[in-house]
Amino acid sequence: MIEYNRPIHQAAIFLVLSSLIGFGSNLVRTDSIPWIAPKLEAVESIDLSSTEPVLVAISLDQAKEFFDNGVLFLDARDEGYYEAGHIKDAMRNGFLMELVFNIEEKQSKNDPLVVYCGDPGCGDSEDLAYDLKESGFMQLYVFKGGWVEWSEASYPSEVGQ
Amino acid sequence: MNKYFKGPIILICRILLGGIFIYASLDKIAHPAEFAKAIGNYHVLPFGLENLLALTLPWLELLAGVALITGVMIDGAAIMVIIMNIIFIFAISQALARGISIECGCFSVTTEGGDNIGLQTVIRDIGYLIMGFIVLYRRDNLFEFYPKSV
Repeated sequence: MIEYNRPIHQAAIFLVLSSLIGFGSNLVRTDSIPWIAPKLEAVESIDLSSTEPVLVAISLDQAKEFFDNGVLFLDARDEGYYEAGHIKDAMRNGFLMELVFNIEEKQSKNDPLVVYCGDPGCGDSEDLAYDLKESGFMQLYVFKGGWVEWSEASYPSEVGQ
Repeated sequence: MNKYFKGPIILICRILLGGIFIYASLDKIAHPAEFAKAIGNYHVLPFGLENLLALTLPWLELLAGVALITGVMIDGAAIMVIIMNIIFIFAISQALARGISIECGCFSVTTEGGDNIGLQTVIRDIGYLIMGFIVLYRRDNLFEFYPKSV
């Protein structure tokens, strides 16, 4: 039974109310987000000749193959992480429009891009990939293993800006 | 519950904390996706779960802030403010301990580079934590409307 004058009961009321309002408002707003962020589909083989928009997850080996073929890598982490170490020649810009501009200086929107963040548990790479998809980029590959897997494999990397 | 604090400091803490928490909630409520990203940057929750927190935490901040100012269920609001600040201090401290620089996501989640975490952020949150305890362990019940605490 709820006793409104008991502090711990009041705290519970705040928790329940905020959950109800938070989830409820998310149901009706236009920019709603899923309660749990969905996982991205992984692919075994990559077809670069496809003209269909692509947004899939790739493994470490596939990421290295892209790297060896000179595909542009995008670092979706915050600046501090990036400066501490990132995949060699990876590009980073926290402002989406500037990042889009920077990419388009180097290649067209039809060319492949690899996006990564810290580790398989982070979601920034997927968030950025979806943003880029909305900006018109056609081939987006999310390297889920991210910086952790890449650096553990001792693949080419660099520090600083 | 033992009560220690009395006088105008109670009202000052309530208004300050309430105003700060209301202000902190607004940008997060308006931009849940950006707030989820900010939470993700701390790397303390498994991927996916930050969405749950991004949807509920700002409303908790807003409700607690409004309650502190309006004098409704102040004890519960103070408890939630204390719990939230302990979580914030832990999240920021573990990020600092790992030597990483990220945006706080404390007040604004839509501007970049304006509010990076640092020792000053931890000290600020410890200040809010102390204010929360002052409100919780108050002896005066000025401008409190519902319900009277036990």
